[in-house]
Amino acid sequence: MESTLLSLAHGFSVALQFDNLWYAFIGCLVGTLVGVLPGIGPLSGISILLPVTFGLNATQAVIMLAGIYYGSQYGGSTTSILMRIPGEASSVMTCIDGHAMAKKGRAGAALCIAAVGSFVAGTFGIVVLTVIAPPLATIALKFGPPEYTALLVMGLIFLAYMSSTSLVRTLAMASLGLMLGMIGIDNMTGHFRYSFDLNELGDGLSIVPVAVGLFGVGEILSTPSHKIAGDVISPRFRELLPTRQEWREASWPIARGSVLGFIIGIIPGSAHIISSFLSYALERRLSKTPGEFGKGAVAGVAGPESANNSASTGAFVPMLALGIPTGPITAVLIGALMIHGVPAGPALVTEHRDLFWGFVASMYVGNVMLLLLNLPLVSVFVSVLRIPYTYLYPLIIMFCIVGVYEVNHSTVDIWIMLIMGALGYALRKFDFDPAPLVLGLVIAPLFEQSLRQSLIMSAGHYAIFFTRPIACGLLIVCAILLAASAFSFFFKRKDWRDQLAEAEAGEGQS
Amino acid sequence: MKLYADHVAGGFFMVLGAVVIALSGDLPFGQMSMPGAGFMPVLIAVLLIVFGAALILRARENRPFSDIGWDDGRHAAQVLAITVVAVALYATLGFVITMTLMMAFILIVIERRNVLRAAAYSVVVVVTTYVVFVHLLQSPLPGGILGD
Repeated sequence: MESTLLSLAHGFSVALQFDNLWYAFIGCLVGTLVGVLPGIGPLSGISILLPVTFGLNATQAVIMLAGIYYGSQYGGSTTSILMRIPGEASSVMTCIDGHAMAKKGRAGAALCIAAVGSFVAGTFGIVVLTVIAPPLATIALKFGPPEYTALLVMGLIFLAYMSSTSLVRTLAMASLGLMLGMIGIDNMTGHFRYSFDLNELGDGLSIVPVAVGLFGVGEILSTPSHKIAGDVISPRFRELLPTRQEWREASWPIARGSVLGFIIGIIPGSAHIISSFLSYALERRLSKTPGEFGKGAVAGVAGPESANNSASTGAFVPMLALGIPTGPITAVLIGALMIHGVPAGPALVTEHRDLFWGFVASMYVGNVMLLLLNLPLVSVFVSVLRIPYTYLYPLIIMFCIVGVYEVNHSTVDIWIMLIMGALGYALRKFDFDPAPLVLGLVIAPLFEQSLRQSLIMSAGHYAIFFTRPIACGLLIVCAILLAASAFSFFFKRKDWRDQLAEAEAGEGQS
Repeated sequence: MKLYADHVAGGFFMVLGAVVIALSGDLPFGQMSMPGAGFMPVLIAVLLIVFGAALILRARENRPFSDIGWDDGRHAAQVLAITVVAVALYATLGFVITMTLMMAFILIVIERRNVLRAAAYSVVVVVTTYVVFVHLLQSPLPGGILGD
């Protein structure tokens, strides 16, 4: 524990350097804007700004990009509360009671509770991350190819199990991502695979054009400009402070949301989205006045907002300690580290201490910045919402093109982005979530390498996955999850997703 | 037989899996003790076929294909078409000209905005972005016929 505190103190000495503070501030500011603006999420925001980090060192780059991620969780609440439009998918639940509070004249209080809840949960998440990531990384150093294979399989199964769409749909999308990850030179034999004589495809599909296409262009194509409209409720600064009663109603939901969000954040999947849904359902169930939910319940804002921020911090644990992405955003962050020549995973904690601890400390600083940014400057962010979407989306398309081009200075990447944009549009029509595809693409090389190495180690015997305790334990978890899904599949039992959907449908009608 | 959305989606995954297997003919599959370059792609292609079949089997649990709303399709196709033309001209005409034209076209042709206002907005936004990227962030953008 003492060494952790000493390392953290060293991290603060890195994070508090002027340059690092500046990039944390830029990340938080851009993240808040990304969260506020409909039609652009944290993934496209991070992907578009990835090339901007090429001139920075790895620590500055990851501090800025992570700032965009957790900043967007803060910003997403603003549009949800003031316009009833979720600026970010994880803010959907905040729309319900946040906007109802705004209509009752408590917009400022709702924004303040969301910001304070986000701050408390974010800080809680970072404290836990500080404590558990280093020992987890030490354990991960003992992992060999079979353990990594089992861990990645478990990640995919967890992702599918936790996904808001069906298990089959999620696994199909992840398989499609894995398939796209096969394009390019095979690292172990040097064979060209599916590159169709295009030199640019030799290194495989880069994550940036795929992510920007699916989430940036795809979102714009699916969002006709005439559908983005709404009145903005402008809170006055003096209305920002909640009453004593509102603080009392918010305190336990914030505490519960922080713990729940962190736990879910560690599990692969769209953690910050699921955590806000589950927190809302939990608060409603625990409430003495469940009838208030949907009509401006403080707990309906405090719980989900805390949960999604804590989850976004929790998602960094497997990324930093194991090198495993829990979702597309952490996948892009791993990609960013790799571009800067830094491997995510146990080696990050042990061999790049400046980066790891500087990054952890910067999250403490970033959370304070976000609190200071989001409360006094709420009227500034509200004014951004007054820019008509008609003028905004051509700008976003331009940034998508520039962002993708700047990675490799290749127009082939822009064509890939456009193809992925069209695919993203079609996927939304057919109710497929594109996130598992991105995750599949990122883990494909590691998955293939660890699987093939495991088979070589065991002379082709699959028993190697069952004779090694850690790998076997991870696969048992997979079997339990698959059995649970199969049970509901064959016996038409309602699992937690169906029950939650029903609860929310009932909420929507009330 | 009524066509459901997942019939189409499942069919897509199955066809894709079959195409991948067909394209993998030249790649060595290897042996289990020494998997080759074709091992993993074929494994994933089989998974695609399996998941595609599962989608088709349970297609009736989701909505019919005819229920998918394509009312935004025209807007999406227009935006995509203008962007495709812009990308095709991007390296030749350069960032400033291509992006100004693309933004102005979207605003004037698709969104029916005032021509002067749309043109002014496009020029200001593109030039500002160019200055920020090239001079502040030191990140070069293609100059095209205007040169670097």
